[in-house]
Amino acid sequence: MVFDEIYQTYWNKVFRICMGYVNDHDWAKDIAQETFVTVWQALPKFRNESAVGTWIFRIASNHCLRQIERQSRMPRSDMPEQMADHIEPDTEPQVQFLYKCIAELPETDRLIISLELEDVKQAEIAKIVGLSETNIRVKVHRIKEKLTKKFENYER
Amino acid sequence: MSDKVDFKSLWNKQAINDIPDMKKLLAKADRLKKINRYKLILLNLALLASGAIIIYAGFTIRNEAITTKIGTVLMILAYISYLIAYNQMIPVLFKTNMEASTQEYLDQLLSIQRRLSFLNRVMINIYFVLLTVGLLLFSLQAATHMTVFWNIVYFVAVFGCMAVAWFYLSPLGVKKMQKSFNDIIEKLEAVNKQLNSEQ
Repeated sequence: MVFDEIYQTYWNKVFRICMGYVNDHDWAKDIAQETFVTVWQALPKFRNESAVGTWIFRIASNHCLRQIERQSRMPRSDMPEQMADHIEPDTEPQVQFLYKCIAELPETDRLIISLELEDVKQAEIAKIVGLSETNIRVKVHRIKEKLTKKFENYER
Repeated sequence: MSDKVDFKSLWNKQAINDIPDMKKLLAKADRLKKINRYKLILLNLALLASGAIIIYAGFTIRNEAITTKIGTVLMILAYISYLIAYNQMIPVLFKTNMEASTQEYLDQLLSIQRRLSFLNRVMINIYFVLLTVGLLLFSLQAATHMTVFWNIVYFVAVFGCMAVAWFYLSPLGVKKMQKSFNDIIEKLEAVNKQLNSEQ
């Protein structure tokens, strides 16, 4: 699979996963771009040992986790206003609320639920995260319960 | 209604601006990689050149005193120890395996931060001690040829600078960086715990 094809196919998916992690359009775009730079650099060595999607989602997840280092060095709230532009595209309030709720979860839960909502099979999520499939199933169930509760309160 | 919230369809409704032009970004990433490589080569060359000058000065120019030789060796050791420690970090810093699983990747990040923290705390001190003692011994021979006045000027200037760097600038920098390392390590350990809990 050539890079351009991968880029076109996976950009939206990777972007949404990054959005689930940080809930900030510009920041998510940055992480997604970093992900594809890594994909581009590592593609010649990719041996199809795993599905290309699983491989890309792994890289994206790790780039998301890397934000922990950056946040500690330079919290985003410290950035000047003009740097973090807030022109967000029109999005339904419910959609915005979902992404907000996900971004408030613990870091690994954000990744797990984002991958689940992106229709990645739980066996693949288990490989990406490094946990057992049973564990992932339990975690997904609990996260969905949490989200449902938040939506119930939101609708009241 | 909440029971029927279709998270998947909401998830897919996330608006996406436009797909950025990746070619420009890749070109930029390539340029950045080259710049970083040159910086690394330059730093190594600078340290090696300093070492070469010290070797030349210590072993070829009228070096009657043993203290000059010991001083030379200590200063070279300071450079080499820092170079080795610094260069050992390169593969870890630049070749983290982004294709690893979340759990493996978190372990990698933790190990990097711990090593950086070690480099920051321990290596800087080793470097300063070796360099100061080396410079002191190295200067003894020259001092015997100088008048008392120039001796005082020389030692106050050289060791004054070293003292400011060691006792004032270095602790400030080290302390600030250490806080940053500790924060990151603490956060990474907390995230690691999230994975290990409920297993």
